[in-house]
Amino acid sequence: MPVLPPPVRFVLGLGLLTAFAALGTALVTWLRWPLPGSVVGMALLWAALSLGVVRLSWLEAAADGLLGILGLLFVPATVGFIEFLSAGAEWGLWLLVMLAGLLLGAGTAGLVAGRLVREGEW
Amino acid sequence: MTWVALTLLAFALGVAAQGRVRHPLVNPTLVATVIVSGVLLVTATPYREYTAQVRPLSFLLGPAVVALAVPLYRLRALLAREWRALGVGGAVGTLVGVSVDAALPRLLGLDPAARQALLTAPATSPVALQLAALTGAPSALAATLAVLSGLVGALVLPPALTRLGVRHPLARGVAIGSVAHGVGTARAREEGEQTGAASSIGMGLAALVVTAVVALLG
Repeated sequence: MPVLPPPVRFVLGLGLLTAFAALGTALVTWLRWPLPGSVVGMALLWAALSLGVVRLSWLEAAADGLLGILGLLFVPATVGFIEFLSAGAEWGLWLLVMLAGLLLGAGTAGLVAGRLVREGEW
Repeated sequence: MTWVALTLLAFALGVAAQGRVRHPLVNPTLVATVIVSGVLLVTATPYREYTAQVRPLSFLLGPAVVALAVPLYRLRALLAREWRALGVGGAVGTLVGVSVDAALPRLLGLDPAARQALLTAPATSPVALQLAALTGAPSALAATLAVLSGLVGALVLPPALTRLGVRHPLARGVAIGSVAHGVGTARAREEGEQTGAASSIGMGLAALVVTAVVALLG
């Protein structure tokens, strides 16, 4: 492939990433899988990269660019919490559940992974 | 267009603030959310009107979720060498986290909207958002709770893991990533490259595990 100027390279990458998102979405619609199309697209891209069908250099710039501003992309969704302000004190309970899930989940993961790590003792 | 501009500028401000104040609570997404929602409330603009305008930003979430495959692919050597610790540790951690998030709200008798939204909190927000359509959770609540989960995790998990005696950087990283995804991974990166890499793997795996759980329950 000829060397493309960076903006065009970005467009190529974005096109490929969108194509995989579309492919994943088409697949879950067709097979009626209860999965988000983009997560299936992610798995398909991983497979395509591993098999060498898609080269990392084709979409690296676009992927890093998008991931660099990932936090921006769900602001439209998080702003929606204003629709739940009326829940008031319930938020305290939600945070409590979250805290329990975080501590028990990460605690288990850390202890299990610590036992299974191969390299070096810490 | 005004709302797109405000969202972009508020996020940029959040990134600038994060560069100055290194604290998990000074997070660009949180800063932008507070600014934008404040302006919406003050101007009495309905949320629906806002989402209609900023649809171009939301569209990019699809390709961005696909892009998560790139860092995972780059880390394939680490994944191949330590797949037992990272794969089993991460998957078990996420499963425990999801189980607590599923069981505790039932015990507390929370309403269905909150129950469904909490279920996906251990998955990275874009994935939680995409899963909302399947769980029936209000998407805004699912996304907000996922972001909050990352923020709270970044705050409480590093000291908690130290207290538990989890010292290996790979174990600490995968533990943080398995439940506190994006924001947690940013925090894990501050501990070192290995911790950050393990956290990215934990986060990617969590997206798959939470998706699988939702698919099996649905």
